[in-house]
Amino acid sequence: MNRRFPGYDVLVKRHTPSWNEQTRQVIDARLAVPREPRFLTLEEFRTLEAICDRIMPQLPDRPHVPLAAMIDAKLFEDKRDGYRDHRLPPQRQAWRLGLAGIAAEAQRRHNAAFTELDEAERDRLLSAVQEGKLRGDWDGMPPQVFFAKRLLFDIVTQYYAHPTAWSEIGFGGPASPRGYVRMGSDRRDPWEAVEAGNGDEAKVRRANAHLG
Amino acid sequence: MRGQSTAGLALTSFATAAAAAAIEAALRPDSPSPVSTPVRTAAASRLNGASALLAGAALADSAIEHYRGAFHNKNMILPLAVSAQALGASLYGTADRAGLPSLVRHFAQVLAVLTGVVGTGFHFYNVMKRPGGWSWLNLFYAAPVGAPLALSLAGVLGGMAEWLRGSLVRFGFLPGRLIARLISLGLLGASSEAALMHFRGAYHNPAMVIPVTAPPVAAALLTGATVCPALARPASLALKALTGVGLLGAAFHAYGIQRNMGGWRNWSQNVLNGPPLPAPPAFTALAIAGLAALKLLERER
Repeated sequence: MNRRFPGYDVLVKRHTPSWNEQTRQVIDARLAVPREPRFLTLEEFRTLEAICDRIMPQLPDRPHVPLAAMIDAKLFEDKRDGYRDHRLPPQRQAWRLGLAGIAAEAQRRHNAAFTELDEAERDRLLSAVQEGKLRGDWDGMPPQVFFAKRLLFDIVTQYYAHPTAWSEIGFGGPASPRGYVRMGSDRRDPWEAVEAGNGDEAKVRRANAHLG
Repeated sequence: MRGQSTAGLALTSFATAAAAAAIEAALRPDSPSPVSTPVRTAAASRLNGASALLAGAALADSAIEHYRGAFHNKNMILPLAVSAQALGASLYGTADRAGLPSLVRHFAQVLAVLTGVVGTGFHFYNVMKRPGGWSWLNLFYAAPVGAPLALSLAGVLGGMAEWLRGSLVRFGFLPGRLIARLISLGLLGASSEAALMHFRGAYHNPAMVIPVTAPPVAAALLTGATVCPALARPASLALKALTGVGLLGAAFHAYGIQRNMGGWRNWSQNVLNGPPLPAPPAFTALAIAGLAALKLLERER
């Protein structure tokens, strides 16, 4: 449950002046991202889903953010960031190498697939990747750089590109076409989420139901 | 504390209005006036038309801008209430053919003058409390220092209308010159505000130069006409043109709102964010008042 912005759902703005046709098209495409892998193999995709669950655990009472599917879509379309760390290969190759490396490390440590490990084992393995304390060779790609600059970056940016995350943090979504008019700090535009505090949840919930 | 300051403002303005009315009553009997009563009544009515337009513009402008400021300071509701009652008093004045001053109207106008002055103080405080204080950035983006004076100016024009109906004229005082010069000052003030805001807008449309150049010319001619009768004709032409400039400006600002993303369909954003719709008609109001002053000047000669 959203305790900080009770009753706030950014998607209620869909048919208000806050959104226009372009906004609706972009958000619709993002919500409709195919849930089956198109670039990754099914095995790689399951591993990625398991990793995402540990990096960005999600509460069951919110619409699920399909992180693995969003990353797969990014790789399928080969939509790159426009820059990359020089120690990493391009994103498609980096993800392939990284997922293979994590799978190999699970095999080496537990003689099992990453998806078969329990939560503590997964966390220990991912910590080792983060710290670069692995025995295997990832074809010259430093695991700790992959973890920080590719794995974390893609998971976190995809998470906060999703309307579920916007509702969670009280973000108004695209500032187009409406924009903002109250620019001072701690000033709220009438179409921004209301933040709860001091037991005024019921009032805030009513206010958040009528944003636009 | 705020309640006290509001009550204090109301009391002070009531006392001032009462004093003005008392002076008027004392002076009323029998002094001959160089200007006949029908002429003065007509001029007063015209001044009230101008003050009504200006008070209406101040009402719309303060309503829009203070809503944008979310009435963060509770006193931000005051200019709405005060300009609304000044608008009512001025409309009442335009319709009043009896030619007698009214204590109620005079009170309303004095309250408008005082509220404008107090508002200027508040806006000055708003600029100074921001980081950087008195700087170009804060003059552009903090509370506009010149804006509340539009309400004062509406009150001055409306108060002048009451004076014209009342005794100062009978006492032998010639109001035409004073009114003409005050209007010239008002034009220069409004033009400075436009210069500041249009500079902020980088004069991206060549028409943005008009309210910075035309009003000072009209003001110079109007003041010139108070000493040189030959300038009355050009002043009249300039002021007539200026009434059109104010309306044209509102049309340009409506176009400016349309040019923002989403245009008028996105009005709840763009009326706040775009160029202020009620600002340019202030020039129309001052031009109408200036034309009334010219008529008075003509009769006084």
